[in-house]
Amino acid sequence: MWDVILFYFCGSLMLLAGIMMVASRSAVAAACWLIFGFLNAAGIFALLAAPFVAILQVLVYAGAIMVLFLFVIMMLQGPILSAERRPVPGWTWPAVLLPVGVVGAAVAAWFVSAPGTGANAHLPPGFGSAQQVGLLLLNRYLLAFELISIVLLVAIIGALALGLVERRLPWR
Amino acid sequence: MAIGLTHFLVLATALFLIGMVGVLVRRNAIIMLMSIELMLSATNIAFAAFSRHWGDASGQVFVLMNFAVAAAEAAIGLGILVEIYRRRRTVNVDELKTLME
Repeated sequence: MWDVILFYFCGSLMLLAGIMMVASRSAVAAACWLIFGFLNAAGIFALLAAPFVAILQVLVYAGAIMVLFLFVIMMLQGPILSAERRPVPGWTWPAVLLPVGVVGAAVAAWFVSAPGTGANAHLPPGFGSAQQVGLLLLNRYLLAFELISIVLLVAIIGALALGLVERRLPWR
Repeated sequence: MAIGLTHFLVLATALFLIGMVGVLVRRNAIIMLMSIELMLSATNIAFAAFSRHWGDASGQVFVLMNFAVAAAEAAIGLGILVEIYRRRRTVNVDELKTLME
């Protein structure tokens, strides 16, 4: 019963966040809507018996990646941002209460849909825990894990090369 | 009434379509990159939904792989964007068609 309510709560808010992200005129507003959407996705992951993925969703996506986006927006569109109006007064309380509600819903989803109970009765206890996912990652999928680290390494080198001043690159 | 695989797949499809519309409609390159992140997130939800459906945590491992891909994509995409802005003073993709002409 509760999983149905939580699914429709997080799912509908995530769809709303996606639509508002695409429709918003300001890049900062789009980024904030996307962060809100990623918090909802964490709730969805908790419902799907994936608590470890839910935590990483908040840490990596809503944390690291979106902070990178916000940094770039501040760097590129600073002059445009300072010309923007003050926040609309009527939106202050929704802007505070909605994320708090969604985080609460994600925590509730964690308890409601623990493996072995309710809709996830067919799953063994400990399904989706950091221990199980980590064991899979470093045993069965060790090669993929190493390859993805090469992807990240290439991305680091590429971002560094892009950021360097032209004449300091060795091949130019 | 119970929430099954189909519900999560419908949600993932809708999110993917919203992200696709964002890439096609918006002309601000930052928002286009954010729409791509939304599409990647939709695939993550599909992965996790199948993982629960089959009772196999492998899907969650691939969600983690997708996190790494998304981080690499954001780093490289934003790096290119900063470089484009440094040269052309714009992030509007309609003004970046030198290769097209």
